[in-house]
Amino acid sequence: MNRKTAATLLIHIIAWAIALIWIVPFLGVFMAAIRPMVEIIRGWWHVDPFTPTWRNFIGAWNHATAPLAEGMLNSFRVAIPATIVPILVAAIAAYGFSRFRFPLKNYLFITIVILMTIPQQMVVIPIFRIMKDIGLLDTHFGLILVHTAWGIPWILFFMRNFFTTLPIAVEEAARIDGASDFTIFFQIVLPMSIPALISAVVLQFMWVWNDFFLALILIFSPDKLLATQRIPLLRGLFHVDWGVLAGGTILVMLVPIIIFVLLQRYYIKGMIGWTSK
Amino acid sequence: MAEVLLKGVTKKFGNFVAVDKLDLTINDGEFTVLVGPSGCGKTTTLRMIAGLEEITSGDIYIGDRLVNDIPPKDRDIAMVFQNYALYPHMDVYNNMAFGLKLRKTPKQEINRRVKEAAELLGITEKLKSKPRQLSGGQRQRVALGRAIVREPKVFLFDEPLSNLDAKLRVAMRAELQELHQKLKTTSIYVTHDQVEAMTLGQRVAVMNKAVLHQYDPPQQLYDYPIDQFVAGFIGSPAMNFFNARLTSESGILYVENRGFKLALPDRNQRIEYDSEDVVLGIRPEDLHGPVDSDDNDVIAVRVKVVEPLGDEIQIYADCSGQELVASLNPRQQIRVGDTIKLRVAMDYMHLFDPHSGRTIR
Repeated sequence: MNRKTAATLLIHIIAWAIALIWIVPFLGVFMAAIRPMVEIIRGWWHVDPFTPTWRNFIGAWNHATAPLAEGMLNSFRVAIPATIVPILVAAIAAYGFSRFRFPLKNYLFITIVILMTIPQQMVVIPIFRIMKDIGLLDTHFGLILVHTAWGIPWILFFMRNFFTTLPIAVEEAARIDGASDFTIFFQIVLPMSIPALISAVVLQFMWVWNDFFLALILIFSPDKLLATQRIPLLRGLFHVDWGVLAGGTILVMLVPIIIFVLLQRYYIKGMIGWTSK
Repeated sequence: MAEVLLKGVTKKFGNFVAVDKLDLTINDGEFTVLVGPSGCGKTTTLRMIAGLEEITSGDIYIGDRLVNDIPPKDRDIAMVFQNYALYPHMDVYNNMAFGLKLRKTPKQEINRRVKEAAELLGITEKLKSKPRQLSGGQRQRVALGRAIVREPKVFLFDEPLSNLDAKLRVAMRAELQELHQKLKTTSIYVTHDQVEAMTLGQRVAVMNKAVLHQYDPPQQLYDYPIDQFVAGFIGSPAMNFFNARLTSESGILYVENRGFKLALPDRNQRIEYDSEDVVLGIRPEDLHGPVDSDDNDVIAVRVKVVEPLGDEIQIYADCSGQELVASLNPRQQIRVGDTIKLRVAMDYMHLFDPHSGRTIR
């Protein structure tokens, strides 16, 4: 065995090991979700007997105290606008940053980039107070607003980098053809940016969907709770129903996974937005 | 159709002067080529005419209208870009129709113009294709089509052929000429390729370092270059230059250096020039031979490289320490290392002032 094959083998072993470490918890949750409680009580890795069932999913979906059906609906109601609005706003701003000259442009841009580094925990109390003062506490609209504000800086950074990679001659051709700035943006630049927009959609949607922290602070009425907030409530009061908990987890996880699988082709193409130029 | 007039047009980027007090008139229906090496300001000039670049000072007129502050869309121009700049998400039809739609042209009219242009350019079958499905030549045709359907007053071309392979470039060059003969639209064409400039331009503007050197029909540029830069830039292989002195002997003017002593032709016997240092310019095809003669129009050279091209041979030779290229009759034997004598067609030689570079007449 020469050195090259040995190196390849080693790389494969390491890669497989990392992959296994990653996959095991998911496998555990999955195994717990599709089997009755009695089969998993001594550990999900005991596979005899093995009786697949939907019961846990149905149990989580129609849960008495925290039905996931309602939670998923709430999550969609927050995640969809909290994805579309910041992307639209940030894309327009990013185009301005990439194509136009205006005073303090670079300082403004740096400020926005710095905003990306602020941890949520640091600003959550002011956010809570602002939301309370303007009467948006415990409303989905308030949460959408906070997610939108939170998403704009990174999407702006991402889209601006993408726009700088687009050939400017196409926009000049459109300008000569008679297009206004808005026509150029909406009819030429945005269609050319679909891969980057999809990347942004995937990331922002996942971020909002998976968020637990902001929802926990801002939403507390039982009927308004989002899907992620309901998972811990599936535990039950006197005993932990691991099956239902696992089933609920999988249902909630499924949404971002489906979105990623559907859009990953564009998602990877759009990664050019993370380059800097 | 319209005349394009540039008056003292200057463009500065910070302290860098890209175009310096340019005066240029492009007549109605004329095909003018701006040519020069990279960074000479030709593209900037075109972009200023298009309105994509602001003018630092000076005036640009299209037709009788001062267009300095008029946005590109209202200048009634169409531009063809080097990398085609097609709209990647639209099919060929919509690429061509986009400008007309924005101008609220009636649908039937759009349809008619696009069909006509597609026919003219031979891309009718591609109207439903996306740009990425087309070859380079087809994309360039679409870009041309997009300009044609607008029926503008002026066409602007920014090195439109430089992304095509050599063979296609020659074919497209002929097509462009044919197109201009049909449409007779005022055209301004930027290129760094002097062959393109000579073949396409009714008049050619030679620029270097932000300054216009000469603006004349191609043959005029070739035969009567205004200075050493134009003489060296136009023609391939380039003109040979020799540092030399003017001397007078028994009433006849000679141009001589260590390697040769050549009698000036009659037309140059009474030149107005008050220094004796000159630069002698001889085009490669104005050298003939080898000859067996010691006349006062013959120079001796030592052959370093021989390049047979079929219709001619080019020799690279040394003439008393200065490099020289000659295009000679191919039906003869010339070997590397030979010392041969070449007759100079002195009627076609050029003299330049070594300091200013101006042609001495």
